[in-house]
Amino acid sequence: MMNQATTRKPVYSKLFSMLMLLAGAAVVLIPLLWTFATSLKTPAEVFKDDFFPAVWMWSNYKNAVLAIPFFTFLKNTLIILIPVLVGTVFSSALCAYGFARFNFRGKRTLFLVLLATMMLPSQVTMIPMFIMFKEIGWVDTFLPLIIPAFFGGGAFNIFLIRQFMRGIPRDLDESAFVDGANKMQIFTKIMLPLSMPPLIAVSIFTFMGVWNDFQGPLIYLNSSEKYTLALGLSMFKGLYNVEWNMLMAATMLIMLPPLLVFFVAQKYFIEGISISSAIKG
Amino acid sequence: MRNSKSERAGYWFILPWLIGLLLFTIGPMLFSLLLAFSKWDIITGVQSIEWVGLDNFKTMFHDELFYQSLKVTFIFALVSVPLYQVASLLIALLLNMRNRGMKFFRLIYFMPSVIPAVAASMMWIMIFNPEYGILNRALAFFGVQGPAWLQDPSYALGALIVMGLWGVGNTIIIYLSGLQGVPEELYEAANLDGAGPFQRFFNITLPMISPTVFFNVIMGIIGGFQYFTQAFVMTNGGPLNSTLFYNLYLYNKAFTDFEMGYASALSWVLFIIILAFTLLVIRSSSMWVYYQGDNEKD
Repeated sequence: MMNQATTRKPVYSKLFSMLMLLAGAAVVLIPLLWTFATSLKTPAEVFKDDFFPAVWMWSNYKNAVLAIPFFTFLKNTLIILIPVLVGTVFSSALCAYGFARFNFRGKRTLFLVLLATMMLPSQVTMIPMFIMFKEIGWVDTFLPLIIPAFFGGGAFNIFLIRQFMRGIPRDLDESAFVDGANKMQIFTKIMLPLSMPPLIAVSIFTFMGVWNDFQGPLIYLNSSEKYTLALGLSMFKGLYNVEWNMLMAATMLIMLPPLLVFFVAQKYFIEGISISSAIKG
Repeated sequence: MRNSKSERAGYWFILPWLIGLLLFTIGPMLFSLLLAFSKWDIITGVQSIEWVGLDNFKTMFHDELFYQSLKVTFIFALVSVPLYQVASLLIALLLNMRNRGMKFFRLIYFMPSVIPAVAASMMWIMIFNPEYGILNRALAFFGVQGPAWLQDPSYALGALIVMGLWGVGNTIIIYLSGLQGVPEELYEAANLDGAGPFQRFFNITLPMISPTVFFNVIMGIIGGFQYFTQAFVMTNGGPLNSTLFYNLYLYNKAFTDFEMGYASALSWVLFIIILAFTLLVIRSSSMWVYYQGDNEKD
């Protein structure tokens, strides 16, 4: 059971491991399936034993969307998401290029500092950042959730892109340089188009991060018309006499986009996560 | 070439990060350090900030909730780190066998990792519901009367640990990539020597993936100290503070009680604990982590 890639093993060991995997997959899927089933039930059915509803009440979704103000929260989430995506991708690529291609003084030290900041728990800077943003009147605006993305876009992202850029042959830069291109043109015309794989990975991680972020919006957004989806959903639980079917419909709607992105772009996830563990290797 | 004018252009490219480092990391860290030795509630404004020396740290010694939050977090880390590691490694081993349908299984196991913590929390609030949650219904089917889970102080933390087990897909993927890095020849040689599956696992697989185990253990401990959303949404620290995670307590101090000084002190203690654990694991790693000689270091 505990080995890999041996043909010596008899068939039943293969069968046993297959059964284990199936059982595990059932454990993963049943909660999701049950949530989906509940989202389509009538309130009375929620309290009954049947797994699936008798009639699929798609109207639960319509009612849930209206009750939470789903579209307001969606709009708020996108107002944060789009600039954060742009800021993160551009500024992390720019910094990655600086670390990958230039030999300025203190580069090694600065790169170590960059890696060290990955170890710093966000709680340490959370309180002073809040005070700072409060003093300049940005609390209850989207700005504290957006602006930091334009300043480096996160140490891990810089690291990820820099590793990839180091693999791009220097001949390409040099021949462009001979042709009269400056450093910025080399960056936009050569490095960026060739670095698509890590840039896509960074975009996906950023999307997930913003979509799923809870503590950030919780700290900075006070008025409910500014809530993001993640924050709005949790408040929905507290505000209304919980109707489970509608709550589950809303829950399904919020998990759907990340799941879709995951299914479309799974290879980037798997690679990105493997790289994150390789930093320490 | 080095430090020539064109090389210095590198500074311009990393400038956004450098500014960010000063504005959002180093600056706040210094301010936070100052706050940790001060007393200040945010409502009265910056001018009322008052230096109190070590008072915040002294307060911690008598703060029962501080001890409670440490206890909750340590229990969580001590139980969940080994549990999640063993479970993930076991699944990764199964997934690493060359059977058909592995891609499909990999997809399924990873799915919970992309679901927003808030959405997962909502789901599990309902699953743990004592009367109509699917968990207690399944238990009732076997004639077992399930507990009230999230409403019961002796089960709430356990419930959160169980819920976390559902989302270990990340860890599985990291183990899987570790397993795929183990050279095939080692297994072939072991087979020739007549090693059984358990011998192969303990003498080849485990030593070879020990750097991955090492990484995951560190991440697991850090994760315990940063655990927030689920505890906030599902139990808000209750019942009877049985799920008062450290990070939740810190949040409450800062943003419910507005004790910014005390909360900053708490955040530095969190930092020191994480640092201490990380160093401890790194120090001890020479005893149990095996790095391949030709490992490419960067």
